[in-house]
Amino acid sequence: MASNAATRTAAGAARVVKPLFSRDLDEAKRRVRELYRAWYREVPNTVALFQLDISTRQAKDKVREMFVKNKHVTDPRVIDMLVIKGKMELEETIKVWKQKTHIMRYFHETENQRPADFLSRFYQGHHP
Amino acid sequence: MASRVLAQCVRTLARSSARVSGGNLAVRAVAAPGSASHRSFSVISNAERSRVLEQSRVSIVSVWCRQYGDLPPLTLETIRDRVMYVLKLYDKVNPEKLQTTSHFMKDLGLDSLDQVEIIMAMEDEFGFEIPDADGEKLMSPADVVQYIADKKDVYE
Repeated sequence: MASNAATRTAAGAARVVKPLFSRDLDEAKRRVRELYRAWYREVPNTVALFQLDISTRQAKDKVREMFVKNKHVTDPRVIDMLVIKGKMELEETIKVWKQKTHIMRYFHETENQRPADFLSRFYQGHHP
Repeated sequence: MASRVLAQCVRTLARSSARVSGGNLAVRAVAAPGSASHRSFSVISNAERSRVLEQSRVSIVSVWCRQYGDLPPLTLETIRDRVMYVLKLYDKVNPEKLQTTSHFMKDLGLDSLDQVEIIMAMEDEFGFEIPDADGEKLMSPADVVQYIADKKDVYE
């Protein structure tokens, strides 16, 4: 089991698992960087193609936010799975299988914000 | 075949220089032999070329040299200036604190994703692809300048 041997740690504290794509954290981070580059290059084309009402700057900030949301992950397999999902989203965006509404869902424009302070929660009411 | 091509070139050149110098019997003689034989053509062109050169020097200089299109040659100073210019345009970078030796992460406080964006901006500026394995190691403007100089064979 060569792949298991590659993921075995010295102390044996981590479980021996089969890797998805990358064998260590550096390779996983490289995949993340490649995905970020692909998204960064593709975002201006998306804004033009779908005729979105946002600026390119806002779209790039949203891409950055999506990547930073998962910054804390350290498991290479989880990172690989997130990269795979990101690649699927990218493919759907490039090949125009998505539509304008699917892309604007990232911006949560029509969802009601949950109230943060006491008075807003008070006004909203208590529905147990 | 080459002689035929050369003959056509000389014919067009001779025609243009004939227009410039106001017509000359010697020049028209050059234009006459269309697909002449190898030896006779070269004899004529050598004889006439010297005479034509004397008469219309300015036009011949522009006509006889080849002109290619290319970018101006890169030097280390121009590379450094362009790299610093692109970095100053980046809004997450403070232009006052930017030096050639400033580290992106430690001195300028940038993220790894910011560093990826900077490398992509360098790719766009200089027009060639920087693979990620090399790009992740470039952590200061001096590194970037050195890498571009290595790739483009620019040396002092």
